[in-house]
Order: sequence, then structure tokens, then C-alpha cells
Amino acid sequence: MAGIRIEHLSKRYTGTEAAQGALIDLSLDIPDNEFVTLLGPSGCGKTTTLRLIAGYLVPDAGSIRVRDRLLSAPEGVVPPEERNMGMVFQNYAVWPHKTVFENIVFGLRVRKVAAREARERVERMLDLVHLSGLESRFPNELSGGQQQRVALARSLVVEPEILLLDEPLSNLDAKLRERMRIELKALQRRTHITFVYVTHDQGEALALSDRIAVLSKGRLQQYGTPREVYARPANRVVADFMGLVNLLPATVLEAHGGAGVVAAGALRLRVGLPTEASARDRVDLAIRPESIRISAPNGAAEGVVSARVEERSYLGNLSEYHVVIDGGLRLRVQAPSLADFPVGSAVRIAVDAEQCTAFPASARAEPPVE
Amino acid sequence: MLALVVLIVLPLLSLLWGSIAGEGGLTFSYFVRAVSSRLYVQALVNSLVLGAWVALLSIAIGVPLAWAVARTNLPAKGFVRLTASLAYISPPFLIAIAYVNLFSPNAGLINSFLRDVVGAPGLTFNVFSMAGLVLVTVPHTFPFVYLLAVSALSSVDASFEESAQILGAGKLRTALAITGPLVAPSILSGALIAFVNAIALFGSQAIVGLPARLFTLPTRIYALFDFPPQYGLASALSLILVAITVAALYLQRAYLARRSYVTLAGKGVRPQLIDLGGWRWLLLGFCVAVFGIAILLPYGALIAVSLSKSWGLAFWQNLTLANFRFVLVDYDVTRRAILNSLVLAILAASLAALIGALVGWIDLRTRMPGRRFLDYVSLVPLGLPGIVMAVALLQFWLKLPVPLYGTLAILLLAYTARYIPLGVRAANSALRQVDPSLEESARILGASWGYTWREVTLPLIRPGLIAGWILVFVPAIQELSASILLFSSKSITLAVAVYNLYENGYIEPVAALALVNTAIIGAAIWLARRLGAGRAGGGTGALA
Repeated sequence: MAGIRIEHLSKRYTGTEAAQGALIDLSLDIPDNEFVTLLGPSGCGKTTTLRLIAGYLVPDAGSIRVRDRLLSAPEGVVPPEERNMGMVFQNYAVWPHKTVFENIVFGLRVRKVAAREARERVERMLDLVHLSGLESRFPNELSGGQQQRVALARSLVVEPEILLLDEPLSNLDAKLRERMRIELKALQRRTHITFVYVTHDQGEALALSDRIAVLSKGRLQQYGTPREVYARPANRVVADFMGLVNLLPATVLEAHGGAGVVAAGALRLRVGLPTEASARDRVDLAIRPESIRISAPNGAAEGVVSARVEERSYLGNLSEYHVVIDGGLRLRVQAPSLADFPVGSAVRIAVDAEQCTAFPASARAEPPVE
Repeated sequence: MLALVVLIVLPLLSLLWGSIAGEGGLTFSYFVRAVSSRLYVQALVNSLVLGAWVALLSIAIGVPLAWAVARTNLPAKGFVRLTASLAYISPPFLIAIAYVNLFSPNAGLINSFLRDVVGAPGLTFNVFSMAGLVLVTVPHTFPFVYLLAVSALSSVDASFEESAQILGAGKLRTALAITGPLVAPSILSGALIAFVNAIALFGSQAIVGLPARLFTLPTRIYALFDFPPQYGLASALSLILVAITVAALYLQRAYLARRSYVTLAGKGVRPQLIDLGGWRWLLLGFCVAVFGIAILLPYGALIAVSLSKSWGLAFWQNLTLANFRFVLVDYDVTRRAILNSLVLAILAASLAALIGALVGWIDLRTRMPGRRFLDYVSLVPLGLPGIVMAVALLQFWLKLPVPLYGTLAILLLAYTARYIPLGVRAANSALRQVDPSLEESARILGASWGYTWREVTLPLIRPGLIAGWILVFVPAIQELSASILLFSSKSITLAVAVYNLYENGYIEPVAALALVNTAIIGAAIWLARRLGAGRAGGGTGALA
């Protein structure tokens, strides 16, 4: 049905909001019927992108096309009401002066759908979002999760080609968030609508998306499947944002054909390398806490270095340790809580080199925001 | 945009021009006379003295009431709120006339009671004095301090005070070091508004001041329009009055800006209530006293006067409703005045609310160039006392070939211009409550701009607009300061009729007419409350 093609899109703000949420040269292909997430910290430009797609903002440069129809360009934009999209806002934006039914039927009335058909469609939609029986309630008589579903129903009942969601779960408590997450995913599968979803929660993005676009400081950092983005972060910024990561400065000892050996303190690891890397290059090494094994200090296998426990926190199913390895490097390690290593004890750690990523050290200097 | 320019900017410019245009070119002679002649300097001093006393007394009354309501376990808080609201909506000239009936040196009821019945002439009080003028003005101005102080005091979260207490500060120390500084800007800001309002009130200054030959700037300006009118001098005096007002308002805004750290606490504010024990009855006594002076005494006097054939100590022996019949039915001037004022107040309130909604929307929702200018211009009338507005409009429209002088139209212009700031502010705060996403979500569902306004924006800001409407209606129906210079026998208004009847000594019909005025205000507020209540669950309080 409706894929979105974004080309060289830029938007700058002036005055007090300058630098916050600006967008620089974004190109993105959002395939039809996919769940695509724009992920990044606040002010990275993800909401700006969404509002550009919706037509609330006029881009400074670039274009947005849906099904090869030009919707947005600096010369002008098709107004939101003519885009056949839906949008769910972070604060739900459920109209407080209208009942649940009046909220949901709004878009159908605008489209002059006959009253009977409209009623049937609203009822079907209420059923879909589990709100049947609450038609005549006012929003202030609903819980946050119910208001959220009214907003969803209101956007979906007009059968948009594209649904835009701006951090729709961020105002819900943890339990409800998890349930709505599952419902959203199921809803997308059933409706075959293209979902564009904005969040700063990487867990949410990984769980929901077909594809994730990671944004930082107005620039696209990586665009790929959740697995790609998590396991093979394109740069330091993505790695940092995709979860707890140890980022260690390292030196290349030998390199050929996109792989090689690097040294970080006492660690010697055989990892994948950027193809242009050569010996004596400085790189950053990303190691996830769960890719490190921690064990008692007897027996020496390959790739194992000795370390000392500096800090320990019990997380229930896991324990997290801060250890210092020979040469002074600090590492975060997550291990099952079964074994227990007290603070100050000597341990050995082994790193699963397969799960590590090396970036050119220059990536540390993040791209400046214009 | 154009409306604002015609209503505000052009009259103001012609006022400026009028103050410096001499017969043969530009001149500063009017200003020189205004600041050198003893007559005018004395008026200026009187105005400042009046303002200062009123501001001080407003703090002395408003702050204890506010503290009692916001922070203590005072019984009957609703009674205190009612006192403040009633005092706020009561026409100031009505209070003045009531006190004249009670305390005029010879015929005042209480004075003659004290002198002739009690036999204690030393206890009498002459209302025709500076003290009397302050007394009749304060009931109108203390609510400004009260309202701002209440809102500041209730937005100080208990945690601020509790953190001081846990660090070892006692109750008094906490009040002085934490609560006081947090709310002081609001109190000062309220006192400055009281000051500005006090010096601009023509009615009480004319009614109480003139018999004592106590001139103030507004009454001096008014006197300059006796034949032959001296426009130049009037303009110069007006501008001096404006300068004082603007300086005070500038200070007030600066203070209020510093208040922001109180409101930062945002939602879930939980003010700390103090258990006063037996002291609360003393505080309640203070509240009752304020009620007595601001409400009970003046209204009681007016009702008694309006029902008597001839005002005096034995008034209950000659009760009558004839005075009401006279002003409502028999006398065509008062009948016309009531009708005129109703029409003017309704139109002015509607125009101010409409212009307010447009200005507010343009300012908050668009990036139209010049929207800041629009916002500022709409605030300018706050700095213009009513009589100054009248002088400005007179100068402007007398120069034009349009025969507006003496019509209802020029009064409507004056009222609308005077009260636009109230309309703009009400609409602005109503719109701020409405998150833009509520409008945006209607747009993306396919609704046009107009449809969105009708279905979403307007219903959501309606309570705010109605509040703004009533905020304009109440002062407009009792407007005297500008009307007194602009009316003609055909376009006479309620307040002017009251003033003229009073001037001519018709004490009893005046009281009846003043009560009719209050009744109209009460009815309008009641009606607006009914309309503003809206649909169940439709409150805007829960908006993001």
C-alpha cells in the first residue's frame, strides 16, 4: 500500500528552540506494511521527523514521498488533513469535551460516512481495542491505558495508510506498557498499516520493530533490523545507545581481510575490524556485559585474564560486577546470580570475541550539530 | 490587527500630539504648566499619597485573609472568598456613596447618631477627607493583593517548608526565610495593581474628594473639560498619569516574573496547613470585620436609603419602593441609562472576548510576523486610566470628520479598548491550557482549520472565553472614568446617571439605581456561571 520515501530531509529551528530537535540530511526508505521505529535520545530529531511526515512542519530541504506522490518539500506541503495518515500523540490528545464514541467517530464524520456505518465501524474498533461498553464515558473517567486505546482507535477507524506514533507508551506504567506493546504489535500485523513509531526506549524498539532507524543529534546513525542494530552497531553512538556496553580504547595488533587481533589492556581478542584498518590503528572496542564470563581464579583457558571485583549489585536473576583487569581497565560484567564473588575478590574473566565490535577511534568525535 | 491600531495606537498618538501641539508649532508649555502650577502639583501629590495608602492597607487586609484561607484551618473559608469576590465586583462609586450616606459631616447617619443620640461628637468621622477617600477605595483594591497572595501561597509546596524545618528552622524562621520570600513578589505585585487602580478611580475621588476640595489627577483632568475645554493641558496631565501607571505596572511585571520559581512546583502541590487553635477565632473576627466594612455597612446603608422616603435617623418609619419605581419606570433618563449600559457592556465584552481569542490564537499558534507587536499593543490599555482613554479618544475623533462624539459608538470604542487586555489575557490562558496536539490530531483525521476550530478549539476554550467575557462585562456595566467625558444626554450610562443624580442631591434614587447596577452584575455572573459549567466531564483541568 504505502511506503514512505524520505530524501535529504533537513529541518532547522530558529530562536530559543535552536539545536533542539533539528534534523540534518535524513534519507530513509520505509517499506509498505512495516513497523519502523525512529530511536534516539530526546532532541535527536525523531519527533521532528514524525511531524514532518505528518505535514505539521515544512522541511528546509529534501522531500517526503508516499507512493511516489510528493507530499513535503520546502516549496510547500500537503496539509495534514489531506494525507490519509493517523497519529497517536505522546499525551494521547483525546478531546476532553467529547465522549469516547464522539472522539472515535470524529474522523468518520469528517469523511461524511453515513451515521449507521460509522456506528458499526466505531463498534468494531472499540472491540478491537477492548473498550466495548465505554462509548459514553468522558476521557477523564478513563485510565491512562484506556485513553491510550481511545487515541489508537480514533486513528485507526478511518483506516489510514500510515499510522504515526509519538512515544505512545511513555506515560504508562511498566506493566501496562508491556501489555500495550504486545497489543500494538498484534494490531499492526492484523491491520497491514505502515507504522512509524518514535521512542527513546531501546527495549521497546527492539521488541516492536521490523526496522530501527537510530538518530542522534539530527543525523541518522544506522538503519537496520533490530538484530543488526543490536549485534552490529555501526558506530560508537549506536552501541552506546543500544544498551549497556563497555567501550574500551584498543590498538590493532594485526589486521587482514576485515578481521584481526586487538589489544585492550591485558585483553587480546580476535574480532571483526573495519576493512580499512591496519596494524597500530587505534580503535574502540564495544563489549556487552553479558558477553563476558566471570569465574573463580583457578585454571587458565585461552582469552582469560585475571581481574578484581570492585563493585557488585544484585539484580535478582543477574548480578552485575564492576571489575578491574590487569592494566587498570574497568569492565561491567553481568553474570547469573548462582555464583557469587564478593567485593575485593580475585576473579578471571573471559570475553566472547564473536560478540564484540570494533570502531575506528575517530568515531568518538561525534558529528557536530550545525 | 487593524482594529487594535484604530482602538489603541491612533488615539494614543493623538494624545501625545495634543500634549505638545501649540498654536504656532510644538511646545512644552503644557507640561511646564502641569509640573509648575501648584494646582496640578498638589493633585499629583494627592494621587500618589492616595495610591500609597491604599496599597499599604490592601496588603494589611489582603495578606492576612489570603494566609488564613490558603494556609490555616480557619473555619468558614468560603465566607472569606465570598467577601473578596463581592468586594471586587462592587462598583467603587457605590461604596463611596454609601459611606457618604453614613459619614458625611452633617447628614451622615452614623455621624448624626454619634453626635445627637450618643452625644459624642468627638467620635464622628468626616468622610470628605484623605482618610475617607482611602477608606472607600480599599474595599475595591484589597482583592487584588488577596487573589495574588492566595495563589502564591497555595502554590508553595509543603516540601519547601518541611525541608527548612528538618534542617532545624522553627515555624517563624521558616515563614520568614522560606515562605515569605517565595510569596513576596506576588504580594508586591498585587499591591502595585492596587496602587494603579486606586489612582485611576474617578468616581470615588470625585464623590469623596471634591466636597473636601481634595483634587487628584483624574478630577483635575475632568475639571479641565469645563468650558472652555483645555485639551493641551488635559493631555499633558493625562500623560503624567500614564507615566506613573506604566512605571508601577512595569515594576509589577518585574516582580511577577520573579514569581516563576513558585509555580515551577507544578502539579500535586500540597500546601502545609497550620493549626491555629484558639487563634483562628480571632482571625475569623478580623475577616468578619473586613466583611462588615467592605460589604455589610455599604450595602446595608444603600438598601436602607433606597427604601426610605427621606434619609435620616428615623428611616424605618417611612419605608417605600417609590425610589425603585422612579429609576426603573418613571424617569426616562435612568431608564435609558440602564439600557445603554446593558447594550454597551454586552457588546464591549463580546468584542473584547472575540479580539482576545484571535490575538491569543495568532500569538500562540502561528508564526505570523508582528504577532509579538500585537500582543504588546493589546496590553497597552492596562496603563491607561479610564479618563485618559477618554481624553485620547476625544482628541482623536474630534479631529476626524466622523461625528462620533456623543454617540454610543465612541463609548463602545472606549470600553472595548479599555478592556481588551482582559479579553486577551483570558483567551491566552485558556488557549495555553489546550495542548496543540488536540488541534493537530483533528487536522490529521481530515478536519479543516474551520472545522477544527468549531469542534475542538472553541468548545475547549469556551469556559475561558466566558470567564473573559464576564471579566469585561462587570467593569463595563459600571464604567464611569471614561464615560464621564464621553457621554451625551442620549448616550448616558448607568454610572454617569448615578453620578449626576448624586451631584444633584437625589440621595434616595441614587441608592436604588446603584443597587440595580449591582443586581445586573450579580445576574450576569450567575448566568455566565451557568453557561460556563459546560457538559459533564468536559472540564479542561485534566489537559496535558
